[in-house]
Amino acid sequence: MRFPRRQDAVLTDVSVRLAPGEQLIVVGASGSGKSTLLQTITGVIPHSVVASLGGSVRLGRTFTADTSVVELSRLVGVVAQDPSSSVCLPDVEQELALPLENRCIDPALISARIDRALDAVQARMLRHRSTAQLSGGEGQRIALAATLIAEPAVLLLDEPTSMLDAAGLGAVRRAIRSAVDTYRPAVVLVEHRIDEFAGTGGIAGLPPRALVLGEAGTVIADGPTVDVLAQHGPSLNRNGCWLPLETELLAVTGCSGGLGEPAVRAGIRSLGEPVRALGRRQNFGRNVLTATDLTIDRGGGACVRAPSGTATPVLAGVSLTLRGGEIVAVLGGNGAGKTSLLLTLAGLSRPSAGTVTGARPGMIFQNAEHQFVEHTVRAEIRHGLTLDDDELRAILQRHRLTHLAEQSPFRLSGGEKRRLSVAAMLAHDRPVLLADEPTFGLDRRDTIATLAALGRAADAGCSILFSSHDLRTVATLADRVIVLADRTVIADGPVFEVLRLNEVLNRAGLVLPPLIRHLLEEFSSDAQIRRVLGQLDAAVTTGEGTK
Amino acid sequence: MTSELITTRTGAAPTRPPGNLLSRRNPTIKLALLFIVSLVLMFIFDPITPLVLYLLALGAIAATARIPVKAFVLAHIPFLAFALGLLIVNALSRPGDVLWQAGALRVTTEGLLVGAALALRTLVIGVLSIGFVLSTDGVALMTSLHQHARLGSRLTYAVLAGYRMLEDLPREWQTIRHAHAVRVPLRANGKPPRSLRQYGRAAFALLVLSIRKGERMAQSLESRGLGLTPRSTWRRIPLTRTDWAMAAAVLTVLGVVVGLSALLGVLRGYQVLG
Repeated sequence: MRFPRRQDAVLTDVSVRLAPGEQLIVVGASGSGKSTLLQTITGVIPHSVVASLGGSVRLGRTFTADTSVVELSRLVGVVAQDPSSSVCLPDVEQELALPLENRCIDPALISARIDRALDAVQARMLRHRSTAQLSGGEGQRIALAATLIAEPAVLLLDEPTSMLDAAGLGAVRRAIRSAVDTYRPAVVLVEHRIDEFAGTGGIAGLPPRALVLGEAGTVIADGPTVDVLAQHGPSLNRNGCWLPLETELLAVTGCSGGLGEPAVRAGIRSLGEPVRALGRRQNFGRNVLTATDLTIDRGGGACVRAPSGTATPVLAGVSLTLRGGEIVAVLGGNGAGKTSLLLTLAGLSRPSAGTVTGARPGMIFQNAEHQFVEHTVRAEIRHGLTLDDDELRAILQRHRLTHLAEQSPFRLSGGEKRRLSVAAMLAHDRPVLLADEPTFGLDRRDTIATLAALGRAADAGCSILFSSHDLRTVATLADRVIVLADRTVIADGPVFEVLRLNEVLNRAGLVLPPLIRHLLEEFSSDAQIRRVLGQLDAAVTTGEGTK
Repeated sequence: MTSELITTRTGAAPTRPPGNLLSRRNPTIKLALLFIVSLVLMFIFDPITPLVLYLLALGAIAATARIPVKAFVLAHIPFLAFALGLLIVNALSRPGDVLWQAGALRVTTEGLLVGAALALRTLVIGVLSIGFVLSTDGVALMTSLHQHARLGSRLTYAVLAGYRMLEDLPREWQTIRHAHAVRVPLRANGKPPRSLRQYGRAAFALLVLSIRKGERMAQSLESRGLGLTPRSTWRRIPLTRTDWAMAAAVLTVLGVVVGLSALLGVLRGYQVLG
């Protein structure tokens, strides 16, 4: 199987040959053409998307350009990025049966194969569910099962784990490995969260071969993952790719071997020096938002009628205060009620009991697209405000949106959409900013830029409450954390104190990333932990200079 | 919570409630019968024949479909309203023997009869539609149409995927409305304004997101091999002798009622319209 090919702008001169059973991970910064590469293999390019394709892709004896996408599906299985659009039918069973029916598999065999595919992703209990009830992570596992069930010769995985927690991630990794062991498909994986995907095994948990795409979609490196990451780690790190921790530490400290290696640990220690006082103020302003004894029902709010008294509330007995200039992170497992809490604090959804007092907060949503109201970036920022040209220009510049001012918000890249949604909200100068998973799905560079923007707003006195599942982000930014579990707040306190409470983390189903665990053990001073995390982020070129 | 969601999904739960005769019948046959009866009614313009058909259909559906009385009555409301409209318009506007007059308003015998015939026709089609909709699972209908009425697999699954998208729309709409409400200038009473423009903007965002999602879903379905031939069908919707017997029974009753009505001289066709 080979695809030597040439395409202007997006991909250039990419030639790859994959043998059955070979696993490839494609690494590159946002916009380097990773997804495009997958689309050329499925045949979506050139069949469904208008693009000029030079060169060719061959699967066995089949050339993709001569064969329709549907016919290619006999050979290629795809797990697409967004699980809500890769699970297409009303019931889980139907979803899994469809690929088999399409391949004319004997109906008598289908039920057993559905069970086997669900077992492979550890989702047997979802068999009789309707797909509308699935959470993002569950949907992602079903989408993978629906792809594995047909045993395609080529398996393409486009960020198959973006919505999974640690347990789900392990299930996906094992499912892919067992598929490779049983029927030897060639695997091409594109993954943002490389470090999480690799798991505790580090680089050994990744596909053994890596392909690095650079700007304009050229192949920078192609070879064994260990070697490729060792050689290109520093430049990938600078370019804002998420990398396995040991590669990132290699890039920053110059020593290989990860946290287990004394030299690396010494390197981290030296990053914590010289100790400086925490950059941020520790004395926060007066209370700007107070919530007292909130009870929140699912689906509360003006438009949807809440079945009063029938359902158990999502959250009960929640009281909290936010002080001016303070950054607070809300933690909790999937379904713990983080979004519901934010919507209630924002005044968008009515609590069934309790009160929220304080000035009207601003809020940014997990999917930035939900917020967009106007047809250009410029109008989007002006929306709901009267800004003169100078003010607008300053905002555009501060958030690096000047060159995009006339574009449609919907046509921006993921990182640009996030910048715009943050810029448009901050322009309102509200005393409180609520943010629901503000760094979700962003590459490292955009993550750092988003955190920097939130940090600047807090420095200017805005109080920030954000939800996140990424504890490294939380440790980098938050002053204080609130942990939700068992339908209420189980901890509320300074970030590094709470992250040291193992019992609280276990109860909320949170797992400390190895780096954060190490830093908490290594350093007693919060300032040092912050400094190390800051130094690690500083190794990434963000395009806005260091703060 | 779970059971609540399943029931809102028009009973797609793997096991159907026992004893519900009508819901176990083949959806394609039910749809075909609904169509045939409606077609025959198009040619009947006297009130007696559709009245008899309505009562028979009402009795048969009530006996076999186990629809809660309240749901059955509520579902009647739109048909009743439409029927009443037909009756009034025809009674007041048709020429003929004047039965009652007050100023410009006059009711004619012919108008009343034709109006009643059309109104009752509406009710027959209404009651059959209610019985059909409330006893048929949408997914089973599509699968059955694919199996028994040769509806193409691409169209069938496109409709099913659309159904799945529809299930997500309310939540998506709610999120967009929330996201938009954050930046809207509040009215004097502290509440967000509810202008047509706001709805328009939210609708536009929903449209953009839905079109994109539809595109991605289409790609997913293709990548799962939808459209390959030949294909097999896992869970066939049964088409049994009982289904054919139901079809025969319905058509026989229809034939007998229309025949008797002709024999008794009650039946009227297009000629009534003069």
